[in-house]
Amino acid sequence: MLGEAVRSIGANLSTTVAATMTVLIGMFLLGLVIAFATYARSWSDDVKAGLVVKVFHDRDATPQQVNAVRVMLEKNPHVDQNRIEFVSAEEGLAQMRRERPDLFGTDLPYNPLGPAWTVYPTKAEYVQEIADAIGQGTKASPYPAGVHNVTYGKEKAKRILKVANIINAIFGIAVLVLLSAAAILIANTIRLSIFARRREIEVMKLVGATNWFVRGPFMLEGLICGLVGSLVAVILLFVSKEAVLPSLLPRLTSDPSVQALAFWLNALILLGLGLLLGAAGSGLTLRRFLRV
Amino acid sequence: MTALEEETQVTDTPTALAEPGGPETPQAAPAAGAMLVFESVSKVYDPNVVALEAASFVIEKGEFVFLVGPSGSGKSTLIRLLLKEIEPTTGRIVIGGRDLGRLPHRKVPQLRRNVGCVFQDFKLLSDRTASENVAYALKVQGESRNAIRRKVPEVLGLVGLNHKSNSYPDELSGGEQQRVSIARAFVNHPPLLVCDEPTGNLDPDTSVGIMQLLYRINRSGTTILMATHDREMVDKMRRRVIALEDGRIARDERRGGYASE
Repeated sequence: MLGEAVRSIGANLSTTVAATMTVLIGMFLLGLVIAFATYARSWSDDVKAGLVVKVFHDRDATPQQVNAVRVMLEKNPHVDQNRIEFVSAEEGLAQMRRERPDLFGTDLPYNPLGPAWTVYPTKAEYVQEIADAIGQGTKASPYPAGVHNVTYGKEKAKRILKVANIINAIFGIAVLVLLSAAAILIANTIRLSIFARRREIEVMKLVGATNWFVRGPFMLEGLICGLVGSLVAVILLFVSKEAVLPSLLPRLTSDPSVQALAFWLNALILLGLGLLLGAAGSGLTLRRFLRV
Repeated sequence: MTALEEETQVTDTPTALAEPGGPETPQAAPAAGAMLVFESVSKVYDPNVVALEAASFVIEKGEFVFLVGPSGSGKSTLIRLLLKEIEPTTGRIVIGGRDLGRLPHRKVPQLRRNVGCVFQDFKLLSDRTASENVAYALKVQGESRNAIRRKVPEVLGLVGLNHKSNSYPDELSGGEQQRVSIARAFVNHPPLLVCDEPTGNLDPDTSVGIMQLLYRINRSGTTILMATHDREMVDKMRRRVIALEDGRIARDERRGGYASE
């Protein structure tokens, strides 16, 4: 069967090359989009993970008032229960000193800060709901006793969430469109190459070849085209990754937790898809021509 | 028309047609020796086009039968039916004791290995040499390489083409291509050889050569059913003639000519 496949590749070199090139281009573009999409998603997740709700107590808040807020937070289903962080007045001051040293030219006569809570949502989208849940009081005194402010970076959070959603949607659509475009293109190329040989298939059937005897070499040929095409695409992707990323990466973000899908995984997906499209494409297309 | 060429008009009962034939057609009892049986076979294509209507005949083992009739009379339909390329609308076809209606689809390749086919357009694989074309018919049934190496030159010798075994179809003349296609059809020594206008694309001299070859194959015991338009050939050979007209069997003569006389 391998012999038949190899001879047919040799005999129909131009269509074979066309099919292989189609796989190559499709898989290369798909690989690029997968890399960018997973990178963008990871970036937006990272940014979203930075969204927190901060509850600031008055400087003279009583322990009972602080405790009441804790109980309220612990009852809220949108709050990540493992990440309710209490920031004492002293810690808050130390933190501020670290972040904004310019504000501390002289020693302060007293600590102006009260205790505070840093609350992480179970999902970034819940920050507003958490903040609203705490601030249900009247307009004059919107917060419970002992609380003087609740922040969640209102506008910033909204913008981050919006951008993250758009990025996800765009890349999701791009992956889908490319995947189906690659599948249709490859199936079409294979169809053309089989159509060019339908007479040959008819003859094979008439001298008593079983369907699998005819289909086998064609599918093997599709498999080889798919493998070679996606392999070359992976090599090209690797080369461009090595060439472009080092100069590009520092401009994007320095955060090491923002990562695209691991290259080997991306490569594996492309190889698998290439093989599948090649073999399934030719196998399915052949069905029409085997009814002799 | 000589006394021997007695005309047998078509009847509806196939057994009536299966009387012992001439000296060239070795006969057996009709039931046991029948190579091909059509029992009131009809084929109606989709929008009520009747291609074949209640065709009944029996071809005995070893017979040489011409199938004649104008274009569109149902010859090709009949041949496609017995290769199970298409299914009859009604009726029964039996080849070598096997009822095609009961033959499951996966057994069709086996049927085709037992029915050699020769076509007007040769149907050779253009990217294979003469010997590779012949070998393909053996490969599909899983013959060993040794057997292929032995049988292919043998059959190419039979058709007189041993010296052209490495030529591709486009390097061969029409007659040579038809010989290759006969070699391919015959290499399995099928009991039945079906020829669809094998001389239709050939000049008269080449046709004679092809007919002589088919005659020799027939003499070796192979049943031959040949659809043809070649009036001269049919008249010269004086074999059994089944004539189709508008999908019906108009004539079935033991030793007939191309046209009714």
